[in-house]
Amino acid sequence: MTILELRILPPLAVGRLGAATEPMDNYEVTVDPEQPLAARRIRPARTFVVDPDIGGISSDAVPSAVRFTVGGKVRPVAPFLEVWALTDTEGMLEPLTTALLAEHGLTPRDVRWSVEVANHKIHRRTGEERDRIDAVVPAFSDHDVHRLEGTCPNFWAGRTLPLGTVRYLRPTEGFPGIRLRFTPAAGLVYGSSAQDPQLPQEAPDPNLAGILYNANLGGWLGHFDREGDPSLTVPANIYRGWDDDGRWRSSGYLDDECDGLVHVELRLAGRADPLRAYARIGAGPPAYAPDSFPVRTVADELDQAMFGPEATDIEAGLEGRAQAEEIIRRALESVRLMNTAVMNGNTVNGRTDVASTMVRQDTADTGRRFEPVMAPSLVDNAALLHLHRSILTGLRSGTAPWFADVLRNHNEIGDLSAKGRRKMPALMRGADGRALALTRRQVDLIRKVARRDVFAAESSGP
Amino acid sequence: MRSRITRHLGSVLPELLTVPPTAPGGILGGPATPGTLTPIPTDPGPDAGTTGVGTTEAGSDGTADRVPVLPPEFNWRDYTVMLLHIAAEIEHSLMVQYLFAAYSLGGPDVPDRLRAQVRRWQEIILGIAKEEMGHFLTVQNLLTALGAPINLDREDYPWGTEFYPFPFTLRRLTPASLATYICAESPPGWSGDEATAIRRLAGVEAGQEVNQVGALYRRLVAVLGDRELVPDSDFQAATLPFQADWDEWGRGYTRGERGRDSGNVPELEAPELLILGVHSRDSALSALRQIGEQGEALDDLKDDGQDETSHFRRFLTIYQEMIAEPEDDRDKISRRLADNPRTSHRLRDDAARFATPAVAGTAHTGTDLTAHRKHISREITDPAALRWGHLFNLRYRMLLVSIAHAFRLSGPLDHAGALTARGILIHRAFGEMYNLRAIAGALVRLPVSDQGPSGQGQSGQSRSGSLRAGPPFEMPYTLDLPEPDRNRWLLQRDLVQASQLAVRDLRDVLPAADSGVPYLVAVADTDRRALELIERVLAGRGPCHA
Repeated sequence: MTILELRILPPLAVGRLGAATEPMDNYEVTVDPEQPLAARRIRPARTFVVDPDIGGISSDAVPSAVRFTVGGKVRPVAPFLEVWALTDTEGMLEPLTTALLAEHGLTPRDVRWSVEVANHKIHRRTGEERDRIDAVVPAFSDHDVHRLEGTCPNFWAGRTLPLGTVRYLRPTEGFPGIRLRFTPAAGLVYGSSAQDPQLPQEAPDPNLAGILYNANLGGWLGHFDREGDPSLTVPANIYRGWDDDGRWRSSGYLDDECDGLVHVELRLAGRADPLRAYARIGAGPPAYAPDSFPVRTVADELDQAMFGPEATDIEAGLEGRAQAEEIIRRALESVRLMNTAVMNGNTVNGRTDVASTMVRQDTADTGRRFEPVMAPSLVDNAALLHLHRSILTGLRSGTAPWFADVLRNHNEIGDLSAKGRRKMPALMRGADGRALALTRRQVDLIRKVARRDVFAAESSGP
Repeated sequence: MRSRITRHLGSVLPELLTVPPTAPGGILGGPATPGTLTPIPTDPGPDAGTTGVGTTEAGSDGTADRVPVLPPEFNWRDYTVMLLHIAAEIEHSLMVQYLFAAYSLGGPDVPDRLRAQVRRWQEIILGIAKEEMGHFLTVQNLLTALGAPINLDREDYPWGTEFYPFPFTLRRLTPASLATYICAESPPGWSGDEATAIRRLAGVEAGQEVNQVGALYRRLVAVLGDRELVPDSDFQAATLPFQADWDEWGRGYTRGERGRDSGNVPELEAPELLILGVHSRDSALSALRQIGEQGEALDDLKDDGQDETSHFRRFLTIYQEMIAEPEDDRDKISRRLADNPRTSHRLRDDAARFATPAVAGTAHTGTDLTAHRKHISREITDPAALRWGHLFNLRYRMLLVSIAHAFRLSGPLDHAGALTARGILIHRAFGEMYNLRAIAGALVRLPVSDQGPSGQGQSGQSRSGSLRAGPPFEMPYTLDLPEPDRNRWLLQRDLVQASQLAVRDLRDVLPAADSGVPYLVAVADTDRRALELIERVLAGRGPCHA
């Protein structure tokens, strides 16, 4: 058996920040068949236990319970990245193990990793190259913990932003696979100052874990988004700050999220070039509603990118109904987490325009009259939950999804008519600042299912 | 139509007929039949009205500008309310018949080449049914604006309307059933070879006139448009917050114009829901004209037929497309559903005594007001279908009760107003619409009988295989709501608890692997949560309490 190519699986791993020393256990999120309208159940699943001393997996087990915090601190989600090999045996992928390495006269020490991650959030706003925060771990083959220390030309001397760690896990007899583990950072907030952080601070900001950014070198502290700048996000001003006579000035905060690449390299005898593979990693905030999913996820984006904006009839037949149900379930979960009365623009306790909502944004961006999206009487949260549960119930009968006509098309996100604003998903915005739409592929799938289910066969009865 | 209303129809119909009062063969011109309404002279004469106002003919159909005559036992406001009650029952019945027909479409026998077409027809008919729902709600608004009780009632099927020469019947979609819908929605003056053929298929005899609900609306316009008959003070603008509102009931549908794409079927326009608030004479007249015209759309007869805006034109187009297909294929487009399926034998069902095979298009004449009774209904005896039928009826009742209950609570006067439980009730009503569609989906696939293949006398008889059940749409024993509001929530609780029993009963007869079980599990879950919500309201802990 000859190794032809390498892969890192998963090719995209999203970690989650957490300050606890013990990473999060594995868990599954499932629907209770007897309570299909209830929140999804979180159940413990098989979890690798890493021995910090040996740097390898010592056991695997199903924990007795799922705990998201330990000692009041959030347990980070620390993904494993596994190396797989494409061999000349029927072109199959199989795990790269010590045995497979040995077949090629290699040991785990011959596997070389390198990692590069970055946090370019400040750079995204200021446009200054010197505001990039990058961390690089050059090639390594040991099993030590390697810290991802983010450096930035505009940081105070000697200061770095901890972006987490990576560790090449030592293969063991029981767990001979080649793996790397990425452990994200703690989820802390750091600050900027024009005053040397080594000196005593007057009234230190309790939100901050430390001062990293030198406000004498860079402009992040006090930065404001300039109106009309085509590079601005929509909406702009999405950073911690203060109002300075109409300018939203940055408080100079930075967080410890990051994303980047993990590379692996293996040099085989007789080959001029080493085999290489890479994967993407990222770290986001903890899942505070782990039993819920947004109506449009990264997975949906990838699905569309890979398979196109239109589903085939075969796909609609195979997975359409389940997909339609899944989307409604996610809509139900979203409603559960929303203050729908506020997000609809209702007057709440005598106050109007009480939060940043699509209603405010429609008015601010286009001058549209400030007007709730739905009839105010319809957005009572309990009532909306009931409605979505009813839709989900209807779908489980095998009824074709009849609601395709209320789904927002991708080219209708700027439709400010009453009908346009009330399309689904409602009250939420997409990354472009306009009303959220499902992916074209999601919409297409639901519509195809809606057109095909009326020809189902008849039942003979019990 | 319930007898308490029909006894007045003899006074009302002559006014609405488009034929001259002396024309033979009119709807009330036939011989009296025992047990039916006795016709009265079509000329109101000196005994018919108390106002002394005579009848004059004007306008294209002879009704629009006819001076109304007040029937006995009424004043003008009350007479208006009664006409609105009749309109509500007709709109309700049309809506349910259209839903039944739409649900019948499909099934495994539909030829592949016709599937897209059949799906399109279904969407069109469902769209028309939704528009009838809009009419139905607008009529309730008119009643509310006049300070009258709303009317969600109607008779069970089949029933002779006295308004139409064919009975209202739950029937699968065929050219014959379609013909009756076309006639019901046809505008005055519709004539020609095609009209003659369709009328014959619908059971309308040559020379016989077909009333239109539009005529009823025109009569209402004539009455409400006259300050001498109904004074301005009879319109109660303050009732507006209690009326159905497009913003609450219109969902994603269009207002004022039909949409470009329904989304479910390409190139098909979304329905236009007319849910119109009434706060004055002008708004009342506007509402009546709009809903009257959406049915028959007078202008349709003048255009080139390409604009499918009216119900009449949309039905007619389906009919034309359907009869262009080979006859054998026409029979395959809909599932073979029993006519008028019902959940239990009626002890006093005239249909049983008069039962004869009812072949579509041949059974009825306008001169025989009891002919409709020959159109038998069919008892569902298959154990599973029967229980699905009971659950359907119960959820239908829950829908009607939620609509009625919503009319008792006010919507917000403005965006700052405190909210009532009206939003909850409206969502509950929509939830029940989804349930009805889901349960109908199960019923159209189940046999109606536990005796194997059958179908004697039913329109689906000609093809092999057993008749299927369909949604029975049987009316509850009452639609009256108790006072005060707390007791209405107790009724809501009763109905949910009854649903829990019905679901349990149904699950007892279904195999564990039956495709309906996941739905029933979800219904049980919904009901459990609905009870929690109702208990919250009853305990005064909800955002809106009793």
